[in-house]
Amino acid sequence: MDAFNNFLTGSITLFSDPLGILIFFGGVIGGMLFGAIPGVSMLTLAAILLPFTAHLSAEHGIMLFSVIYCTGVYGGAITAILFNIPGAPENAPTAFDGYPMTLNGEAGKAVGAAVMCSAIGGVVSCIIMMAATAAIADWAISAFGPPEIFALVFFGLAVAASVGAKTFWKGWLSILVGLMVAVVGMDPVGGIERYDFEMPYLLAGIHFIPTILGFFAVSEIFVQAEKKVRGKFEAPKMGVEFPTLKELLAHKVAVIRSIVIGFFCGILPGIGATLAAFMGYNEAVRWSKTPEEFGKGKLEGVISSETANNAATGAAMIPLLALGLPGGALTAMMVGVFQMHDMEPGPLVFINSADLVWVVFAAMFYANLSIILVGYLETKTIINLLRIPFQFLAPMILLLATVGAYAVRGLTIDVVVMFLAGVIGFFLRRSGYSVAGIILGLILGKIGEQTFAQAMQMLHFEWSGFLDRWIALGLLIAGILTLCGSIYGAFFKKDKRPSIGAAG
Amino acid sequence: MGKLRIGHLVEAGLWLSLCLFLFVYSFEFDRDIEIYKFGATAWPRTIILLMALAAIGQLAHHWIKGDETSSDLISAAVDDGSEEAAHEAHHEGLNWYLSTLALLAIPFIYMRVPDWIASLISAEATGLHVIRVICAAILTAIIVYYIRLHRVRVALVLPLFFAALLEDFGFYTLAPFFIVGVMFMFGERRAKWMVSIMALIYGLLLLLFVKILYVGLPVGNIRPFYDIGSWIVTVLQ
Repeated sequence: MDAFNNFLTGSITLFSDPLGILIFFGGVIGGMLFGAIPGVSMLTLAAILLPFTAHLSAEHGIMLFSVIYCTGVYGGAITAILFNIPGAPENAPTAFDGYPMTLNGEAGKAVGAAVMCSAIGGVVSCIIMMAATAAIADWAISAFGPPEIFALVFFGLAVAASVGAKTFWKGWLSILVGLMVAVVGMDPVGGIERYDFEMPYLLAGIHFIPTILGFFAVSEIFVQAEKKVRGKFEAPKMGVEFPTLKELLAHKVAVIRSIVIGFFCGILPGIGATLAAFMGYNEAVRWSKTPEEFGKGKLEGVISSETANNAATGAAMIPLLALGLPGGALTAMMVGVFQMHDMEPGPLVFINSADLVWVVFAAMFYANLSIILVGYLETKTIINLLRIPFQFLAPMILLLATVGAYAVRGLTIDVVVMFLAGVIGFFLRRSGYSVAGIILGLILGKIGEQTFAQAMQMLHFEWSGFLDRWIALGLLIAGILTLCGSIYGAFFKKDKRPSIGAAG
Repeated sequence: MGKLRIGHLVEAGLWLSLCLFLFVYSFEFDRDIEIYKFGATAWPRTIILLMALAAIGQLAHHWIKGDETSSDLISAAVDDGSEEAAHEAHHEGLNWYLSTLALLAIPFIYMRVPDWIASLISAEATGLHVIRVICAAILTAIIVYYIRLHRVRVALVLPLFFAALLEDFGFYTLAPFFIVGVMFMFGERRAKWMVSIMALIYGLLLLLFVKILYVGLPVGNIRPFYDIGSWIVTVLQ
């Protein structure tokens, strides 16, 4: 009941302040727009706005970022569905089925499902976050140390190896390439330079934003260029028909499963929405009676991924507010906003600034709700982008991606890296490798190595230490079993689908 | 040889060569870390070992099953049409890959060769800029020559070349040419449309990023391109 009263107080505080209302709607629309513009993301908007938050109150600054976070995660789904360009890594699995749906003339249905499921995932996650922040934070933070997080990363990679590749081996090779790219730069314990090839740029590692833009946006342009040259290009069909309530209700199990997955992934520092979306999607495939339909435009794929990534947004606030641990790039920027106002996120925030916490919680709740209204209105407009001929859209996407890659660190070499990743992605896609796997490896590689090092130091370099930690042990065993099952499947199960180029 | 093809052996050879190279290079940073007994190399070497095992596993898979797709996988990469398009366009031969890689060297030639020439003739900053402009002009001419012959290959090279020139010539000078180039690659031939759409996209980008969001874009460092870029920024901001 306390939580409900606090929520009401937070809501009243939010909507009784004209500036607060303005910032709220600015964040909602800005997050969605930046998430939806190909080549830029909510991170671009957040990075641009970060210096200006010094002029806002702490409540307004944190609220603005939390609203951008909720709506930006949804906004990235629009470009993933319409152009195969995920606005953020957490939208990558949405493209697996969303883009084929667009090609099949079901763009409206896919975007409509993303709108509805993002809102449902986000709202439910917010409600749980408000009701149980303290208890969940206590449990997760005490139960999940570095060994558990490393084990979760391992399990996540093991299940994700089957996403987007032609064979199990190509899936693993894709992930390992991503892990190897993540190694470039300083090692996380001793700061020793690795694979820098004496280039100062590589000392800081390869940034994931140019890499993502290259592998998804640029390689897609190249694939379309090849199809255009060969007369195989098919313009995406327009479709503004939203999914019916019956269609959405038919996927209620997928929604509930993805909420659970999204919430628990979101609560873990450093894991966040990306793994949530991949796991939500992968579990949908594993539980499906028709797994072969995934990747070809199945509504359940969009629903699972979008529910899971938005369910992670509310949960990601728990470690941030309870312990000051950011779960991703945007929550890390929120720590910056706190620090600009001479505050440190952590347990004391609940005591010293309870008003701030509940204004933020209320803002996130309403931001997720507003996805339905603003999302539908905005989507009707954005889908019209598909009417633009691709020869005019392609230079726009490439230049937006150029600006997006350059804006991260102000380095032209990031633009080179992005286009190089595009070329590599083009060759890998035509060879049946998974660009999504590379991205997942790149993002989880750094977390994986860091938590592994911390875990081994914590366990005094004794492998047997994992036996005493049942969550870590369970996740490791589950990961190994998944791997063994996949290896068995790769050699001994026969595929029902036709192979491409077997005769060549 | 089971169902193995030459392409499979080349693929496995490339992966194993990459593993060997990465392993050998790892000795460059094989140093002890006082608080971490595995050092800086344990993690990358484990990945390299797994990569080699996966490459061998893939070779075994090809030997037993040929190009057959694994079961229980999500076939997003298979079904996006890229592999099929490549197959139908006969873009799978070794020659195609080698000639494409040769063309892809152009941006990297621009990034390296002017510096080498400048150091050979001990040229100073102005001399280096002149060498870069000449080099860019020659390489652009080569790309333009190949446009009609190999559109797919040039489509791959053009954005990378644009990125390589960005530091010296700036976004503001290069973007209009890049927009027209990409439209041409995608088959647009109507000059009026190309100019109008170019002006529209260029104008929108400048308005959004320079005028409204104050995003700093590269202005270049060779005159007069630097002056043009700076002038546009000054006018808009």
